[in-house]
Amino acid sequence: MSPTRSDGLFIQSRNAMGTVFTIYVYAQDGEEAEAAQEAAFEEIERVEEALSNYRESSELSRINRLAAQQAAITDPEVFTLLETALEYGRRTRGAFDITVGPLMRAWGFFRGEGRYPTDAELRRARETVGHDKVLLEARTRAVRFATAGVELDLGAIGKGYAVDRAVKVLSEAGVKAALIDAGSSTIYALNAPPQKNGWMVRVPKPQDRSQTVSTVTLRNESLSTSGVYENFFQLNGRTYCHVMDPRTGIPVQGVLQTTLIASDSTTTDALSNAMFVMGPQEAMKVLATLPNARGLWILDEMESQRLVEWRWQNCTGDSGRRNLTSELSENKGEQTR
Amino acid sequence: MNRREFIGRAAGALGGTLLLAETGDLWAKQPSDQLNLAIIGVGSRGQQLMRTFLRVPGVRFAGLCDVYEPRFSAGREITKENTPIYRDYHELLAASGIDAVIVSTPLSLHSEHVIAALESGRHVYGEKSLALTAEECSSILNAVKSAGKHFQVGHQYHYAPWYRETLHRIQMGKIGRVTQIYAYWHRNNSWRRPVPDRSDKKLERLINWRLYKEYSGGLLAELGSHHISFANEVFRGGPESVVGSGGIDFWKDGRETHDNVQVTYRYPQGQTLVFSAITTNQLDGCQLRVYGTEGSAVLTERDATLYYEPKRRQAPEAQETVLEHGIVTGASYRGEMPYRGPGEAVSVAEGKQGNPDYLACASFIDCIRNNRRPEADEQLAWAAGVAVAYGNQAIDQGKRILLPQPTVSRKSIAFSNSV
Repeated sequence: MSPTRSDGLFIQSRNAMGTVFTIYVYAQDGEEAEAAQEAAFEEIERVEEALSNYRESSELSRINRLAAQQAAITDPEVFTLLETALEYGRRTRGAFDITVGPLMRAWGFFRGEGRYPTDAELRRARETVGHDKVLLEARTRAVRFATAGVELDLGAIGKGYAVDRAVKVLSEAGVKAALIDAGSSTIYALNAPPQKNGWMVRVPKPQDRSQTVSTVTLRNESLSTSGVYENFFQLNGRTYCHVMDPRTGIPVQGVLQTTLIASDSTTTDALSNAMFVMGPQEAMKVLATLPNARGLWILDEMESQRLVEWRWQNCTGDSGRRNLTSELSENKGEQTR
Repeated sequence: MNRREFIGRAAGALGGTLLLAETGDLWAKQPSDQLNLAIIGVGSRGQQLMRTFLRVPGVRFAGLCDVYEPRFSAGREITKENTPIYRDYHELLAASGIDAVIVSTPLSLHSEHVIAALESGRHVYGEKSLALTAEECSSILNAVKSAGKHFQVGHQYHYAPWYRETLHRIQMGKIGRVTQIYAYWHRNNSWRRPVPDRSDKKLERLINWRLYKEYSGGLLAELGSHHISFANEVFRGGPESVVGSGGIDFWKDGRETHDNVQVTYRYPQGQTLVFSAITTNQLDGCQLRVYGTEGSAVLTERDATLYYEPKRRQAPEAQETVLEHGIVTGASYRGEMPYRGPGEAVSVAEGKQGNPDYLACASFIDCIRNNRRPEADEQLAWAAGVAVAYGNQAIDQGKRILLPQPTVSRKSIAFSNSV
């Protein structure tokens, strides 16, 4: 069922998962909208309470405390999400990795700074990183760590999962059209506003969000963007960003922003991060396994920025592209300039 | 045993050293120790309890009971199994292979469901508040004693490590003699859940049962009961009188329970609990402010902080200063601004951390396996449940209500006076 012209748009924002979630809902009146939004925010809070590694009381923190010593039994929801995360780790050959925390810490990223770790620090960190360090036993839903020091961080997938859960709550509440925006990095569009084909989402140019690289019409799909706009540091003449390549133990270089569209937010959140780490050529092989996925990279090539698109059809180019060189990796003919 | 001793006994048990840890072998059991749970009421709270119980080793769900069809798929999504479903709780209780029952139905149904589950020979984890009326609370108390089964109430904050640690420090005298507790649960929302078809009035009452007096004790029951139960622990007993007010002053949407309540309980030793719940401002959120003569404790859903009163100078020192050096004249009265400085965070020892819901659920399972009495047992539940019931009477009648003094025996409890 679609919203009608008599339906109004109601907007609410809340702090959650270290960012601001905004829920846009079409409803007959404020009472109907608020009840649905409140239920969705409650669900997001529930997911955060399960998955946060900033909260001592979370289920993830409990697993992190226990799993190196003994089997940590968890509930089917958390266990399934861990299975999904590890599966993404395998499919991206380690570019997506929920155990990357010790490497981030060694490079000083958790303190918002950057430093080159010593060889010993790097070696110690790498000994605890890798999806093969997490052992799942499906029959008993047991989580074990292969070695002490392993820690799970679902920060690169949890927001997407929370969005998917909130979408489910809104759908079950009878909401006819909604947009859920998790800190602008993951966005899900549920149906479309009245008289529209979908919700308009603009992909900005890195470091200048006033310029638009591409305009997307989103409907019953998710879009996630990963980017590093501020946190760079320079060492030995090289520029590093605060996104780690878990496979090398060294931060990613040469990528500014990635955007992925796919059917659900868990997938786009996780794989937009992996796209950033893998770069276009390697990541396209993974995206090819997803139905209806489209990807966009903006690469840093010292003197210029380069745009790489993959199946990015039905999306409108915009003024922000003027200063970008472009490469169309697939469906070149459908590209709109 | 009088009422105060009765409640104090329950409170004393909690104030001891029964702090449970999430680590260790406490609940690591052999596969043969699997416990089969069933749940009556698979709403939002029931679903959260299911997820939490499934984090405890060896726990499985053997039955889901509800009267609203979509809840069955929601429950099975949580178990990720084809868990048997029941539309009538009698059929669920008649089924074999169920060790314990979770009751998370609307408040007015608690006594019916809890008592039936106990009489069927099952241990029961019952959501708070214990029951809608004081009489129903007492009926549950009797049923627990008769059945000889374990009962634990869903006052999970009793298992919160920072609550336990703060209570320990209060009992050690860190903030002096506690005279008042101000407890808040302030929100800024309608407290209304979405109904897929708003024209369906029956469905509205089913989903939003908390808003209708036939089923609900309103804000005092759903929110205040947690705070009352904690105050009962601090004051080592239950209140003796209550006054209250409330109204439907903002959300005039057909609801019957108040959208704001303010209740004051007096305890026998001259102590006071003030509880306030509002739905139009969330500045104060959910917190307990425990005021002692030498300091204060502020507890939230995630942490606790201690603040200390300014030190009083000892009389000899003051006398010496005043007599030998005199006092200094100056301008202005210093005022009594609220303290806005830092406090002392209540830290929980390594290995003692944990989620209150998890610790409560794991503890219940441990009580069944090891035949151990739950900390948040029927006596603790009764004390808070009765206080809620009489608090609501005080609000409705607009007058001070004396809480009845029960006579207690091992087998039964009955009120010796009516109000």
